[in-house]
Amino acid sequence: MDLAASSTSRFSDVDEYGFKRSDNFDYRNYEQFMSGYLKTLTKRRMKWEAILQRNADLTTIDSKLKRYIRKGIPGPFRADVWMKISGAAKLQQRSPTLYRNLLGAHYEKEICDSITIDLPRTFPDNIHFDTKKERLFNILVAYAHHNREVGYCQGLNYIAGLLLIVTDDEEKSFWLLKHIVESIVPQYHTKNMANLLRDLAVFKEMIMRRAPQVNRHIENLGLPYTVIASKWFICIFAEVLPVETVLRIWDCVFAEGYKIVFRVALALFLTHKTAILGCDDIAALANLFREKMMQGDIVTDCHSFIEAMFKIRLKRSELEALRKVCVGRNNT
Amino acid sequence: MATTARSGGNASGSTAQRPNGTQQNKNCQFKLVLLGESAVGKSSLVLRFVKGQFHEYQESTIGAAFLTQTICIEDTVVKFEIWDTAGQERYHSLAPMYYRGAQAAIVVYDIQNQDSFQRAKTWVKELHKQASPNIVIALAGNKADLSNIRVVEYEEAKQYAEENGLLFMETSAKTGMNVNDIFLAIAKKLPKNDGAHNQGAPAGRRLNDNENNRQTNNCCK
Repeated sequence: MDLAASSTSRFSDVDEYGFKRSDNFDYRNYEQFMSGYLKTLTKRRMKWEAILQRNADLTTIDSKLKRYIRKGIPGPFRADVWMKISGAAKLQQRSPTLYRNLLGAHYEKEICDSITIDLPRTFPDNIHFDTKKERLFNILVAYAHHNREVGYCQGLNYIAGLLLIVTDDEEKSFWLLKHIVESIVPQYHTKNMANLLRDLAVFKEMIMRRAPQVNRHIENLGLPYTVIASKWFICIFAEVLPVETVLRIWDCVFAEGYKIVFRVALALFLTHKTAILGCDDIAALANLFREKMMQGDIVTDCHSFIEAMFKIRLKRSELEALRKVCVGRNNT
Repeated sequence: MATTARSGGNASGSTAQRPNGTQQNKNCQFKLVLLGESAVGKSSLVLRFVKGQFHEYQESTIGAAFLTQTICIEDTVVKFEIWDTAGQERYHSLAPMYYRGAQAAIVVYDIQNQDSFQRAKTWVKELHKQASPNIVIALAGNKADLSNIRVVEYEEAKQYAEENGLLFMETSAKTGMNVNDIFLAIAKKLPKNDGAHNQGAPAGRRLNDNENNRQTNNCCK
């Protein structure tokens, strides 16, 4: 890493979640962003304390609460707020022994093997994660046996892993994982991935309508949308975008549902329109999506990205209509 | 462009070098797909070949990844467009999109894992049935650095490869053993004649002048 940068920066080369910052992390820009953002965070935390005192169970998400959530749930409250606004807390109350019973059950070897293979390669760069591997195994193996239609799908390790980092609680992570897989993006992780393929086609349709020249350019260069965006949809951007950005996105996903996933994907394309059109071959384009897009402002200033994604006009009715058209497509 | 940069890739290390600029290079581009069971080392082979790196705990590939690397054989500059796929069975439905139109495939198994060898055979069958008829297929028995705990014998795999017309090598993405060589062997076997792509045969696409210039900047120097 850049020694000059670290010696002048107040920020460690490991972030608050235990992830190592990349070698080319822009400490100067981040410091500038954080000098303002830290004040915002403190103010926000006080406001959230007030909200939680008034409306402890957060059963109804009114426009004010939605606005607060879009501005980011403060870290210390995140796990409980996610549990409440998603409805996972209620589900857990209704089946309080489910998770423990699943852990005591007999496991299929094939499922265990495929999870075990992925454990050491889940967040290998996170300094806290070594001690969490066993708990991650428990969450994934319990879920795979609870939902036989899904079983274990690669990618769930990243979702469950990040849930575990935020909640530091196996059981909460299990219920939140269940909520994501069954309520936010159902049939993405099942054996035929039917809804994933449908939604990738929906996403492509949206780009065709909103930025036809971008779509044409990508088609001409020959990079399928499945290569670009499968991981975005399967992992809900975990292990795709920087962790702070992902958590801000998940705040909104738990409150507002699947529409947010499309918002983020659209924002990634539309805010990089010039860069996409500037790629003159497929390798440059693939590299843009894999590496370049995940550097710079999007890393140091998660707040601007969230603001940009809510400026995009997007109606649930538009998405639902496209979903009907795109059912059964598998060559996006 | 990071993906074609020759940073430590050393892929031309064993190829014939020639004085730069003395004659016109031929340029070819081939689509190559990697297939095989989860965690056999597909992404690691690509990472070793393209960037000369190895990560003990390579993150699992979700969906697919795309990278490129350029190597030189005699007077030909060969650019591989590499499609690295996810190994888990449920991602199988996406695979035809990647091997469709591919001129080459590397089917990878782990020499410590008998199931992964059986899975590799299934991939070979599927390619013979569904892919371009002249696709060049290489079988890679990866993790050869662990050959003391192997369960798939070298001779068994070699015989299978011969019977099915496949190139075969045991490789190690960890040590780099045979990694460049397997790509090189594929490149040698691929037809590099002009205009052959018109017949739908698995021939390399000639690059246009623009690409030509860029390629020669990266390669054969």
